[in-house]
Amino acid sequence: MFKKALLALPVALAIGVSAHADSYQAPEDVLQGLIDQIDSVYLTQSEMNLMMMPDNPALWVGMDGEELFHTPRGPNNVSMEACDFGKGPGVLEGAYTEMPRYFEDTGKVMDLETRLIHCMTTIQGFAADDPAVRQRHGSGSDHMQLQTYIANQSSGFEWNNPLDHPLEKAMRDAGEVLFARRAGKADFNCYACHGQSGKQVRASVLPNAGVPEEWSKAISWPAFRVGHDNVRSSQHRVRGCYYQMRQAGMLAGSDASIALISYWTDMARGQPAILPDMKR
Amino acid sequence: MFKKTPMAAGIAAFATILFAGGCAVADAGKSGEVDYTAMTPHELAEYLVFEANGGGFNLSQEVQEGGTARERMQQDELQTACSIIGDGKPDAETMNAIRAAAQESIVYPEGGITLGDWERGRELAWSGFGFRIGHNFDDHTTRESGGTCYNCHQLATDRTGGTVGPSLTGYGKMRGTSDAILKYAYDMIYNPHVYFPCTHMPRFGTNEMLTEDKIADIMAYMFDPESPVNQ
Repeated sequence: MFKKALLALPVALAIGVSAHADSYQAPEDVLQGLIDQIDSVYLTQSEMNLMMMPDNPALWVGMDGEELFHTPRGPNNVSMEACDFGKGPGVLEGAYTEMPRYFEDTGKVMDLETRLIHCMTTIQGFAADDPAVRQRHGSGSDHMQLQTYIANQSSGFEWNNPLDHPLEKAMRDAGEVLFARRAGKADFNCYACHGQSGKQVRASVLPNAGVPEEWSKAISWPAFRVGHDNVRSSQHRVRGCYYQMRQAGMLAGSDASIALISYWTDMARGQPAILPDMKR
Repeated sequence: MFKKTPMAAGIAAFATILFAGGCAVADAGKSGEVDYTAMTPHELAEYLVFEANGGGFNLSQEVQEGGTARERMQQDELQTACSIIGDGKPDAETMNAIRAAAQESIVYPEGGITLGDWERGRELAWSGFGFRIGHNFDDHTTRESGGTCYNCHQLATDRTGGTVGPSLTGYGKMRGTSDAILKYAYDMIYNPHVYFPCTHMPRFGTNEMLTEDKIADIMAYMFDPESPVNQ
């Protein structure tokens, strides 16, 4: 009986840890928690990546971002600590997992990328066409360094983008329509790849948008794309989806992209985020 | 709107059954601003694709088949009918109309369906090149566009294929090459909605992703006894 209690203890602890929705958890622990919750070929397809996560190159990019975040920059010589990501200026814990969200000061629903641009231009005073503002992709960009740092502060928090404001609801609902919208040369919509469990495109197992534990990993960006040798963003991912669906090129920061990201975040609601993640 | 399928009574009947999504947009509010919250989700989605921010996509980009990316984003009747939240299927009446329209869209080769060169078909089935635009345009003058078959299907076992669609390993060996099976395979590649209305498989013929000779080569890869698919 004593031995049984001992065996039960780590299980109880594991359940206790994974039930915590509002505190930091290292990305690899979040992923392991999801793997322990459900049988998923998608979540377990790369033992190598899971093993490498403690040494995820994205973590170094995030450290660069941390330094950048706290450094006064731009013509106004102000740091990002003055930027409100939805929970008050400079508050980062749980902020990323509550985006996209409505912002009173702009009257728009914004994702992290558009919010960063807003703060870089209005608070720090960068010109809109300054390379620091325009360069959105690549581990060396200010964008990806800042995004990775900011997102990492929400690792382990549950996806929980607000839908209280009518505009938040409208964008999320439009995103749901976009997810199902078949178009382009190949008649694809998002369900073509994300409507079933355990399917693979060539050698890659696809996440099912209808399985929240899988979908949480699917939307966990920024993530280090091993095959690209770069940290990538949510915007980069959704652009890539439309690209290989043979549809039109999605414009960075468009309301269409934010509507889709609002919907896909809502689909993972309640599951813990893996930030930064590591992907093929 | 009817760009992809020939006009026919079947098509017209199909179109009237269809839910007309429409392109109604809410009146602009003050200062010419548009009120997203006054639109239905479908109206807002269309607005976000085509209008907001000048269009949510690079719509004026010229595309490989001629015209612009705008035409790629405009839905035809089939795409609209099969755009269902939750990935369900439309009602039986609509499904039957889809099948009829699909059959009418299929153009058969003069002289009948023949098998081409399986070695060429092998490369075409494997190739994922072609028709991508946006930030990394596929230049068809430098390389042949392929069928992307391996994205979704397993074919010969010397390469890794996807499992989104059924395995086609041993296809010709198991089925032979009767007229019936050749027609079936041709129809599936050309317009699979004949047999599976609202399938996620592309309309490689109707949407002109594959030419007649490329379809013949890919079919040879599937059916020829010498092909690796049938070893």
